[in-house]
Amino acid sequence: MELTISRAEIIALLPAGILFFTGLMQLFLDLGKSSANTRSEKTHLAMIGVTGILLALASLFIQGVEPSSGALYAGAMTDDLFGRMGAGVIIVAALFCTLMAGGYLASSGNNRAEFHSLICFSGGAMVLLCQATNLISIFVAIETLSLAVYVLTGYRKDLQASSEGAFKYFVLGAFSSGFLLLGMAFIYGASGGSISLADIAASTAHDDTLFAVGTFLMVIGFGFKVGAVPFHSWLPDVYQAAPALSVGWMAVAVKSASFFALFRFVLFTGGGQILAQILAAIAVVTMLLGNLAALNQSSLKRMLAYSGIAHSGYLLIPLVLAVSGSGAIAGASIPFYLFSYAVTTLAAFGVIVAISVATDRDDVQDLNGLARTRPLLALGFTVALLSLAGVPLTSGFIGKLMIFRDAIEGGFLQLALIGIVASVISVYYYLRPVVAMWFKEPSTSFDLIPASWGVQFTVAVCAIATVALGLFPNWLVNLSELSVQAILG
Amino acid sequence: MIPEFESFNLPILSLVVLTPALVALALCLVDRNNRALIRQLALMGSFLTLLFSLLMVANFDSSLGTMQLEEQHSWIESLGITYHLGVDGISILLVLLTCFTMPFVFLSTWACIDDRVKEFHIALLLLQTGMVGAFVSLDLILFYLYYEAMLIPMYLIIGIWGGRERIYAALKFFIFTMVGSLLMFLGILYLYHHAGTFDLPVLMERLRTTHPLDSDQQLWLFLAFTLSFAIKVPLFPLHTWLPDAHVQAPTAGSVVLAGVLLKMGTYGLIRFAIPLFPEAAFDLQSMMAWLAIIGIVFGACMALVQNDIKKLIAYSSVSHLGFVVLACFIPNLESLTGAILQMVNHGLSTGMLFLMIGIIYERRHTRELADYGGICKVVPIFSIFFMLAVLSSIGLPGLNGFVGEFLLLYGVFSSVPLWGVLASTGVLLGALYMLNMVKKFLFGPLVHEENRHIADLNTRELIYLTPFVVMMVWLGLYPAPFIKMVQPTLTLYIEMLQN
Repeated sequence: MELTISRAEIIALLPAGILFFTGLMQLFLDLGKSSANTRSEKTHLAMIGVTGILLALASLFIQGVEPSSGALYAGAMTDDLFGRMGAGVIIVAALFCTLMAGGYLASSGNNRAEFHSLICFSGGAMVLLCQATNLISIFVAIETLSLAVYVLTGYRKDLQASSEGAFKYFVLGAFSSGFLLLGMAFIYGASGGSISLADIAASTAHDDTLFAVGTFLMVIGFGFKVGAVPFHSWLPDVYQAAPALSVGWMAVAVKSASFFALFRFVLFTGGGQILAQILAAIAVVTMLLGNLAALNQSSLKRMLAYSGIAHSGYLLIPLVLAVSGSGAIAGASIPFYLFSYAVTTLAAFGVIVAISVATDRDDVQDLNGLARTRPLLALGFTVALLSLAGVPLTSGFIGKLMIFRDAIEGGFLQLALIGIVASVISVYYYLRPVVAMWFKEPSTSFDLIPASWGVQFTVAVCAIATVALGLFPNWLVNLSELSVQAILG
Repeated sequence: MIPEFESFNLPILSLVVLTPALVALALCLVDRNNRALIRQLALMGSFLTLLFSLLMVANFDSSLGTMQLEEQHSWIESLGITYHLGVDGISILLVLLTCFTMPFVFLSTWACIDDRVKEFHIALLLLQTGMVGAFVSLDLILFYLYYEAMLIPMYLIIGIWGGRERIYAALKFFIFTMVGSLLMFLGILYLYHHAGTFDLPVLMERLRTTHPLDSDQQLWLFLAFTLSFAIKVPLFPLHTWLPDAHVQAPTAGSVVLAGVLLKMGTYGLIRFAIPLFPEAAFDLQSMMAWLAIIGIVFGACMALVQNDIKKLIAYSSVSHLGFVVLACFIPNLESLTGAILQMVNHGLSTGMLFLMIGIIYERRHTRELADYGGICKVVPIFSIFFMLAVLSSIGLPGLNGFVGEFLLLYGVFSSVPLWGVLASTGVLLGALYMLNMVKKFLFGPLVHEENRHIADLNTRELIYLTPFVVMMVWLGLYPAPFIKMVQPTLTLYIEMLQN
């Protein structure tokens, strides 16, 4: 077989390639440097990271909004708009996490380049996952990103909880990979030995039970990653144990990449009505359980973990629609919702990072009086929480609007109704930090040390983006619709 | 002669809606310690808005009865959401009421809000944008945006500047309202799915002609919308958040809440719930009417036994708005005219009552009736103003309350005499609890020594109370111009309902 690489194939690999290269650069530059020099922010690492990530972001624009580039690397990946939007979400998240990392690492006991480069490595793998179009490349990308994220979870090796969380995550992650592989094997068998999504879609095995089981197993594998009930139990524990910044990265990037990949998969292959019913049930339980369990959490990270589970539940609604064959209706909400979720969640985690740097805790009551001591951080966090709750004028509202509208359009009125009920429940716990920040007086036990500029910048930009997307979502909605149409042809 | 401004082609409604928000943005840049500047800027901003709203009236042709001063721009095309504003006889008085109330609310806070002045003014200004915006929105999602956007500033106002139980009250307020509005949101999305538009006039047309709803759909959608509005009103038995919110809110919050925010509920019924789903509204007419009547009597009875003046007025609001809800469901010209006038009247009289309770609270730091008595000799001017507000509230002829209440009850009586009779008991009870309160509050022997040295109204307070009195007398003696603005629209509205 002749091995030629076309220009399109090189361009397709650029974002991930640049991220991997940036990670390597950071590792080399930190060789031999001491990690004991804890108070230094090691600005040069962040500078390299930001430069590399911005280059990766720029490389997404080479193709512009060209909807599709066709199959690349013999069908292993593609460079379509959908994949580029996924890559965009991940690269933006990587950018902000890198910006926040300097100050965060300086205050921790383990100030090494690994954190920066692991974000770049996992980011590169996630970009590949968004672009992957055959089973092998999906699996390789998932494993690569998972390994990097396991390490990020256990990054604070001075803290026992962090290592414990990493171990838990690792064991369950490996377990979920098993499901994923088994599902892939079933699909491989059912579709007569094809691994590329296009071939699988073309094979006539869709109403095959084996195929449905395979798809379901794959959904379980991804369900672990995104925290869908009943595969969610690791998530709150790991979120609480892991370093705040790693959690922010996981919450945004791992979830986005997994949803992009899973959605691409079901858009290609469908899955049938029975699977749609099962998924709908999972979505309902996920929305309700996530929100109900979040009601009584005093740890912010744990609360956001459950809220993240609930949001996975909302995101499963378009997936249900796609599986039941109305992907054309539901598609656009996935890229939009994940983009909005990313900026919103990053704003929220910016504040949590600031607080955990200052106090090593993350209780809701640690926020008491934040509106007096740090009004801008409090405002940013409030915007983020309101957006997560789906209050109008924020991007979260538009996202929910799209999902619920599509659910009604696709004939799943009951899903929309339960989603609304779940949103009502969520209002209660999203308001608790707001109450603490605005209505309570500052507690005297600690003084918030100044948040690093990276954190302030992240919170400010992400909060503004949240509101801006809530007011002027048109361009992103159009782009999302375009991207899904490109996949569906 | 009304000056002709139309040649300028000003987007008047947008100006009325957005001016407060722009002033709020400007306030963000002001140094937080410069309280005087913050207060003056906010006041000027609200007066400017009042000016724009008068400009709106000047350009409003009351003989037409249709939507006027419409502005329509594409906004989020991909989701079918447009920026569509318009005003007609149903909304114009409420917009005026809002713009009229706000400057005086700002004036009233100069002495009592000292903590986080900047945030307070920003919240109030954003609240005003939300309220006016909701009254003039003709796109369902735009309406929903404003409707929800009001919630956050009000929540903060109660929660930050409120009384001792403020956090509980604020949370209760937020959750109650949010439950209702999210169900309405689902209803809006369903309507979009059904008729393919968020635009209210287009939607009405399609529901009547090309996309009729069957009776089940009408019923559920009506319930979804009505629940949301009934919580806002608040209709019995959904009223429980109101006394808490009122008692805990700072004076300005109570005034806005009672004066304007509650009208969002009754306005929503007249504008959305009833005309969009007329059959369901007709089917459930008697249920809604009975709930309203229970609310009238229950609110009045609760008001009778309150010792806290603010709580008393809060329950009186439940009773008064019960009248309005009752009238909304009886589609004849008198009852609907009365309903709209009563919304304005209640805003004026209850707004003024809350302002005055705020004044006396600043001086004595108590709202218990038992702590007062006989103060009419100490504060005669205060007592005169207070008496006027009370008399307007119980509908004394010659003041505003009478006109609205009379029209409203006449309309109800001519349709369903029994309901008219039962509702009228609310008027009697109203006189009873109000006069009883006045007796304990202003008259009788002066038992408490502390009350001998209460200061009477100062100039600033006179300045912001007098306009309320002027409006009360004007509406009481010569309501014709206001009724003229309302009735052409209502005539068309009733015709539309009867088809």
